[in-house]
Amino acid sequence: MSAADLLNLFIAAVLLAGVYAAMSVGMTIIYGVMKIVNLAHAGFLMLGAYFVFEAYDRFHIDPLVGVLLAFPVFFFLGMGLHWLLIRRIATSDQPTLTSLLLLFGVWLVLQNLGYLIWGNSDRAILTPRTLSSFEIGPISFPTVRLVVFGAAVLSLVGLELVLHRTWFGRSVRALMQNNEAGQIVGVNVQRTAQVAFGVGIAFAGAAGGLLAMLYSFSPDFGATFQLRAFVIIVLGGLESFGGVAVGSLVLALAETFSILVLPASFQPAIAFSLLVLALIILPDGVAGLWNKRRRWV
Amino acid sequence: MEQEAPVGVNEDVGDAKPGFSRIAPAVGPLLVLAPLAALPLFGPGPNTVRLLFVTLTLVTASVGWNLLGGFAGQISFGFAVFYGLGAYTAALSINAGIPPVVSFLMGAAVASVASLLIGLPTFRLKGPYFAIATIGVSEAVRVVMMNVPWTGGASGYRIVEKGRFFQMHHYYTALGLAALAVGISIIVRRSKLGLALTAIREDQDAASDLGVNPFATKLLIHALAAALAGAAGGVYARYAAYIDPDGVFAFRNGIAILLMPIIGGVGTIWGPVIGAFVYGLIHEEVVANFPQAHLLIFGSLLILIILFEPAGVVGLSNKLMRVLGRERKD
Amino acid sequence: MPPILSVDRISKYFAGLAAVKDVTFDVEPGGIYGLIGPNGAGKTTLLSIIAGSLRPTGGAVMFAGNDLTRKRSFGAARAGVVRTHQIPRPFRSLTVLENVEVGLRFGHGSHTSHAPQAAMQLLERVGLANSSRRLSALLSVGDLKRLELARCLAAQPNVLLCDEVCSGLTEAESAQVLDLLCDIRRSGTTILYVEHNLKAIMKVCDRVIVMNYGQKLAEGPPQQVQVDPAVIEAYIGRPTGN
Repeated sequence: MSAADLLNLFIAAVLLAGVYAAMSVGMTIIYGVMKIVNLAHAGFLMLGAYFVFEAYDRFHIDPLVGVLLAFPVFFFLGMGLHWLLIRRIATSDQPTLTSLLLLFGVWLVLQNLGYLIWGNSDRAILTPRTLSSFEIGPISFPTVRLVVFGAAVLSLVGLELVLHRTWFGRSVRALMQNNEAGQIVGVNVQRTAQVAFGVGIAFAGAAGGLLAMLYSFSPDFGATFQLRAFVIIVLGGLESFGGVAVGSLVLALAETFSILVLPASFQPAIAFSLLVLALIILPDGVAGLWNKRRRWV
Repeated sequence: MEQEAPVGVNEDVGDAKPGFSRIAPAVGPLLVLAPLAALPLFGPGPNTVRLLFVTLTLVTASVGWNLLGGFAGQISFGFAVFYGLGAYTAALSINAGIPPVVSFLMGAAVASVASLLIGLPTFRLKGPYFAIATIGVSEAVRVVMMNVPWTGGASGYRIVEKGRFFQMHHYYTALGLAALAVGISIIVRRSKLGLALTAIREDQDAASDLGVNPFATKLLIHALAAALAGAAGGVYARYAAYIDPDGVFAFRNGIAILLMPIIGGVGTIWGPVIGAFVYGLIHEEVVANFPQAHLLIFGSLLILIILFEPAGVVGLSNKLMRVLGRERKD
Repeated sequence: MPPILSVDRISKYFAGLAAVKDVTFDVEPGGIYGLIGPNGAGKTTLLSIIAGSLRPTGGAVMFAGNDLTRKRSFGAARAGVVRTHQIPRPFRSLTVLENVEVGLRFGHGSHTSHAPQAAMQLLERVGLANSSRRLSALLSVGDLKRLELARCLAAQPNVLLCDEVCSGLTEAESAQVLDLLCDIRRSGTTILYVEHNLKAIMKVCDRVIVMNYGQKLAEGPPQQVQVDPAVIEAYIGRPTGN
């Protein structure tokens, strides 16, 4: 194992972490504002993948543009879903079983819709970009990964800006820190929740598109990534964006470097094992540990 | 822990338990058991018997899950792991020549032990983390079983039994197990354990403050629930004579086991039973006529139930009873 | 007579901040002890530690010779130390009677099987006998407070830890609750009572412990504590006299 090989692996992991982070941040927003664990996240990852695929396949729209388009499309989809179903259930400052089950039902429906519309064969998005690679000295990686990473980072930066520069962002941060206090100072909870849900779904759809540029997919595509999203937010804590970054990096590193020691068929087990281990050692996630130092009840 | 009223509780009941739940304990079991026990008299075809057999194994798993999820309020998405472990244990045991009933008990035992290993680290996790953990464990075990050569790995495992195949034999086994499960459920509900479980479900910390040991109680009921799910898996495995990880450990099994009590009325005695029958019948019809719409139908059903009647069929019938009762007075 | 409850240098730190710091006092059997202090003084935290709901960072809690420090709340309850909650926490899907049964069958007392008569007696004592079959989710605040007490009494505590039993109650209701507390003490239970309502404290307590900023500020009979300059300063915020 030369240093160059290790460096290659490391960079591959970092590139992957970026996408993973974009993939998980949607769940964090929704959970932070509404304390809802979005089990339908996988379904929207899947729909996002197919959206970008169809845009490319039928209309020859570059996948990156497709991802950009996915943001507004899925944003309205998310707001619509919130208006149709989510606002009808009671939310509290604790996660509820009701929301868990409701969104699980939505996921089942989305999955089936996927099967009905697209069948269950694998699809992939192949562009000239997919096959080319980028080289700096001894280091090389596929161009598409770099591009996807860039897009992911850009979207995360965009999210940061929104969170810190807009009324919506302020409301979200207020509600995430203290729901009741936010209401008292006048944050419009319903509106913020609806928009937050929309943003969460928008990121799910866009991330799905990004993932579609890297992997082949079918209607149950969301499931494995959903599990990875779980691992990431468990590692990083359900309510911390910084935590999502940390979690994504840890998972990406674990998965990338595991090729050195484990056969490929065990790859999915890495996410599961990490998940279970993480939950045993860190019941509140890495961010929970950090929060315990700074915050007192 | 959650502060809302648990799914399934009717809060507009002023005094305890009217209607359905008062008649049910006396008449219910007989109404249900009699025709099932006397099935051969109705001359059913082998397909009907198969359907009822599968439904009855589902009843057992459903009632088992309800002990933990309904009575204790601890929602596990990963019961497929107990079903699968029970199936494989029983299968290995039967092939080794051990009598079937003992094999089913061994399946139940292995599932119980697994439940302790799973429960110990996971029960201290809060709400969504616990649900996620159960999914993770269930899937991890499935992936491992796919790769373990001596149980056949992904190709599955076959049970070879000498002697003829008597379908009714299997049917009565499933019926007996289901009846046992419901009996256990009733006994637990009326016991001191049942009181502890309700207290834990409502407010675990307050229960602890009064002397209830939540950890030991939850581990105990988890073991009982897993045992039932494991036994159900074992009984099914023997009938099917072939099992594979993607079949018995499938995530959708864990979902089905969770869905049934919710459809029927989570936390009640008969809810899981009703839910299992509803699920079994719909599943059969859907697979026969609309195989592509399977998930769509169950997903929509779940959504509708959550939005409009979280207390399931039992809740709906309670409301109906109250409305009818009021009308009679006028 | 040896103290029934000993709090020995109890401290609790949350993320570097001291909620309770080095608090020490003894509680004699059969007394009603008040625990007062301004908001944020650490009274409820201390109560939670004694009850076993919270683990202390340092120090020890001794009860009748047993070390209660590492015990969780069910261990403390079974040993005889039971607490009420400031905001009542009924088991909402259970009836009033069934709520009391939980205390009866799992607490320190001797009832392990179904004991409806004992439960009814307790309900009569707190004045809830008529609501025995009501779903606890439907009770008023005042009745919920009484249910809290009944439930704790059902566990037959040697030491009853009360957390602001009178908050949210009217004058008349408070008076009733205080009478109840005296009644409870008469039957041999020791009471440690966290309260904001100073009139109630003065009326009912034998000794008062004052806390501020997590530390014990003063201790003594109510009249003495009332005029302690340090205590007055803590409540009003500026030195008196001089």
